[in-house]
Amino acid sequence: MQIKQILLLGLLCACSIFSNAQTTGSLKGYVKNEAGEPVESATVKLLNTAFGTVSDNAGLFAIRNIAPGKYTLTITGIGIKPLQRAITITTGNETELLIAVKSAIVNMETVTVTGRSAAQESNRQAFNVTAVDAKKLYNTTLDLAGALDRVSGIRVRESGGVGSNFNLSLNGFSGNHVRYFIDGIPMDNFGSSFQINNIPINVAERLEVYKGVVPIWLGSDALGGAINIVTGDSYRNYIDASYSYGSFNTHRTVINTALTNKRGLTVQLNAFQNYSDNSYRVKVDAADINTGAYAPNTLLNRFHDTYHNENLIVNVGVVDKSWADKLLLGITLGKNYKEIQTGARMVSVFGGWHRKGDIIMPTLKYKKANLIKNLDVTLNANYNLGSEQNIDTMNVRYDWYGNSKPNGSNGERSKSMYKYKNNNGIATSVVNYRIGEHQSVALSDVFTTFNRKGNDAINPSSADNELTKKTQKNVLGLGYSYDVRDNWSVSVFGKYIYQNNINGSAANAAATNKFGYGIAATYFLLPALQIKSSYELTNRMPEAQEIFGDVENQEGNPNLRPEQSNNFNIGVSYAFSANSNSKFLVNANAIYRRSDNFIYNRLNNNQSKLVADNRDGVRTVGGDGEIRYSYKNWLTLGTTITYQYLQNLQKYEPEYTGVSPVYKDQMPNIPYFFGNGDVSVSLRNVGRKGNNLNIGYNLLYVHAFYLYWPSRGGDKLDIPQQLSHDINLVYSVASGKYNVGLECRNITDALLYDNFSLQKPGRAFYLNLRYFLNNINK
Amino acid sequence: MNIKTTLATLAVMAVLASCSKDNDGTVTPENPGNYILTVTPAASTGVADYLLTAGSLETGAVSTAGNGVEQDGTYRYYVTYNDKFFSMLYGQGNPGAVTAYNVKDGKLNKLTNFQTETVQAFAPVKDDLLLFKISRNPATPLSTWYKVNTNSLLITSEGTTNTLALTGNGELAHFSWIKQVGDKVYAPYFTIINNSFATNYPDSAWVAVFNYSDMKLEKVIKDDRTSFIGRYFTDGLALTENNDVYAFSASVAANGGKLTSTKPSAITRIKAGTSEFDKTYYFNFEEVSGGMNITNWIYLGNNTFVVNATAKAEKGAYVVGTTVGIVNVADKTFKKVSGLPNATDIKSLTTNNYTPKDGKTSYIGVNLKDGTSYVYKVDASTLTATQGLKVDGGTITAIQYLK
Repeated sequence: MQIKQILLLGLLCACSIFSNAQTTGSLKGYVKNEAGEPVESATVKLLNTAFGTVSDNAGLFAIRNIAPGKYTLTITGIGIKPLQRAITITTGNETELLIAVKSAIVNMETVTVTGRSAAQESNRQAFNVTAVDAKKLYNTTLDLAGALDRVSGIRVRESGGVGSNFNLSLNGFSGNHVRYFIDGIPMDNFGSSFQINNIPINVAERLEVYKGVVPIWLGSDALGGAINIVTGDSYRNYIDASYSYGSFNTHRTVINTALTNKRGLTVQLNAFQNYSDNSYRVKVDAADINTGAYAPNTLLNRFHDTYHNENLIVNVGVVDKSWADKLLLGITLGKNYKEIQTGARMVSVFGGWHRKGDIIMPTLKYKKANLIKNLDVTLNANYNLGSEQNIDTMNVRYDWYGNSKPNGSNGERSKSMYKYKNNNGIATSVVNYRIGEHQSVALSDVFTTFNRKGNDAINPSSADNELTKKTQKNVLGLGYSYDVRDNWSVSVFGKYIYQNNINGSAANAAATNKFGYGIAATYFLLPALQIKSSYELTNRMPEAQEIFGDVENQEGNPNLRPEQSNNFNIGVSYAFSANSNSKFLVNANAIYRRSDNFIYNRLNNNQSKLVADNRDGVRTVGGDGEIRYSYKNWLTLGTTITYQYLQNLQKYEPEYTGVSPVYKDQMPNIPYFFGNGDVSVSLRNVGRKGNNLNIGYNLLYVHAFYLYWPSRGGDKLDIPQQLSHDINLVYSVASGKYNVGLECRNITDALLYDNFSLQKPGRAFYLNLRYFLNNINK
Repeated sequence: MNIKTTLATLAVMAVLASCSKDNDGTVTPENPGNYILTVTPAASTGVADYLLTAGSLETGAVSTAGNGVEQDGTYRYYVTYNDKFFSMLYGQGNPGAVTAYNVKDGKLNKLTNFQTETVQAFAPVKDDLLLFKISRNPATPLSTWYKVNTNSLLITSEGTTNTLALTGNGELAHFSWIKQVGDKVYAPYFTIINNSFATNYPDSAWVAVFNYSDMKLEKVIKDDRTSFIGRYFTDGLALTENNDVYAFSASVAANGGKLTSTKPSAITRIKAGTSEFDKTYYFNFEEVSGGMNITNWIYLGNNTFVVNATAKAEKGAYVVGTTVGIVNVADKTFKKVSGLPNATDIKSLTTNNYTPKDGKTSYIGVNLKDGTSYVYKVDASTLTATQGLKVDGGTITAIQYLK
């Protein structure tokens, strides 16, 4: 690999030689609307020149290398009134502008579908990406997982209520095939206290879902795709606070705030909390612990399922300095407590077993565009000092009525006070160099380290605890892209992955090298008709949790092999209007994947834990689609549909010479057909001017699927169809300063199962109060 | 407004259009009958066991493809008693879910589910199934027994036995299996230091004798001519028509991963009406067979057994022998059976097999490396094995018969 690095360095050096001497000036500015909010995606041009750009999600823009002189600056954009301004550029100086634009009321109604928010802007990349505008969900009680579940191609399977285990599948890939990032930083090492099932949607500005090919700047060995949570910093001075209360004694609080002074000193704070008894009613075959008799279909409340987490993220630093657009030192602090009600089947019920975790994670974020001319640098690093503990000390058997009786000597499931630290850290760096208007080269590197150390106070001699559990991984990526905005673009990239695992002793160390590459391209047939296509040969290494287990539900598999896959994607996106009031947006994607050593989770032989395992070959063919419609400015409708067919192509089973009975069978226990529908009605000026009422409805459908191989057996176990309806009502006062939301989930009280026998909550109500104040002092 | 309604309806219908109809739940077996075969598909992962029926074990074919009653998982044990077939899940620390079936018109008919515990030994005793959950931790030496009534299908009583105190040698008794002998329960055991299953006592055999009605330990009988009786999860005792009890020792006691017993694999006897080893009876199997050891057996009646045996080089605590032979405990003879597939083609032999107890016939499962399996009829009188029912798409784990 050395030669590649040398070549790259050479390339970068060669490029920087062409940097011009300072004979030009530059221009920098900020576009805001009358509400003081940043205007993104506004087109900024110098009239009668080739100079132009688009404002970013913070409303900021910059144009460099402008010959000195007088120019006319034009600002145009969807939803704003065009504006012109005379400016003067002088040699060696950066002209700064604050531009206040007015909203073009006539166009506002079209914004929902045709206006390009940052979320939709992401969708215009060559990659197969879906962006969710999180701001539209701020008045709901959704967590990130709940919001993602509404994206086509995504299915989040939950084992219960608030804080329960989840498994997100993206185009048929699940578990660690899909990597999570927060502002481009991998979330691999965040522990149980900071995960997509306990982070409220309000922490995010948008969610980017990359299906299949993942851009190089998200350096990682994601194979099935990636989810990037963009927390955004479009507001420099604001407070956004919300509190909700609802069924099963559920409380949630979120406070987001930032303060920035004129000298660029900034403090950002996110604090959130979830608490729930999860005491929802379930229908179970409740066994009498003394006689063993089941009382079928008994309705009982869950009694040992309390979950709570509390988190605080603080970042302190500077913004908008000549040497740093952003330099933030921060810390993420949090803890969580989770009681475990059941095992992998609802017949195994627990009354004392629980888990605790905390996160203490210092972070560093640095970003500078044009560190030297046309060279952008992003550096991030964090280290998690947090710990996890699994506590199972009661030697009893519980029943669903909450009774218990003595049962042997090995705890409720497996006696444990095991407490461990994963000692994991991440460092990422991305360097992006632009060559002229259309080309850029990006180099990214992600290094992660994991070293689990733990001990068990009640099993101090347990040999397993003493074993070394260490893994280190480095992903180096190099990409090149050529982009003609709104016309076509293409990216090619290569990734080199190195991983070293030590399991047990240094003698069991195993180092692996993998090389992957890909290409992504997009072409606009019409301004509103985009096709995109990508291919990647991708590798995904076994994760630490898969190799070593998570001490709770995941059993370790030290023999897990890396997976390699050929991924093809093709997508089309088209926006059109039937008439001036009715706007449509249609997205459709098709995927093909051929994976070797496909990694997937199966139940262990005891049906008590999940264990990651390889299949020799799995082929996935699938498609997903989305249609959105808006009528004037008050009605929107949407539906998404996903179908995916995962086929087992392992022809021979280990130790057998004949063709496997499940060769070419559909992979079991994976949802393969599902969709969402939503309707939203916005009524303006209800009660008084500036007060809005929003009524939303959301439907979730998941087709039934088999627990075990479909071709085997006549009388089979399945996970039944799910159909659930949610409605919500939000009343916003004073242009969104005060908001009151009312939400009802699963209105029909349907019995919902994502996993065999594990019932999810029935009908639930939530009241949500939110206060938002934005005061930009630009 | 019309367009709004239409579009809304379309959007919702698009989502709903796909809902498929449910099955009506009546599934006709491919090969109806009173024989039950439990089959695990020859796939390493994501598999469940299937219960198949067959009208005959000697001819025909049956498959798991689209056929069979799916069981939740494969870590299962099966026992037939009191005209019922029990499918028991072995789940570490989980409650043991049991499903009971009978056969109606050649079709399995689910009677009920009930819950027991995950246990390491179980056997029919009187009207009950007696289950033993055995401790592997000397710090907590109480092992729990449960009596499950096979008529009411309920746990009727339970209690504990201190399996550390039972041995008196500082190691825990681990019952290899349990067997009803008259009003008593005989529980042969091996001793273990802890959950490593190592022992410092590889050269003795013990049987704990319990009075069934109150499960009180009456005595422990010991024999130093062999290593322990049976193997983990293997019945090493057999009761003949005259109530003599025969016992085999596989001689597989181990310590630190090495087989440590100096005693040969052999068969011993407890004469009817006594509760001591018969010192006058000793059948040195290892000597007679030319160095082999018994791994499993099934009693056909008339002092005749079908045994699985391994050669010395294959010997292991959990290996099931692919050599099949006939042992006559009265004559102290061992003769190999012919007609089985080549040992190199055999993946495994089933250990939970069926015999009509006619003194000469047994039906054993033979699972081939190519993924197909057959039931072989072993005729002890002719020393032959004949290929019978073919089972496609899986490994036979048990062959049972239910009236």
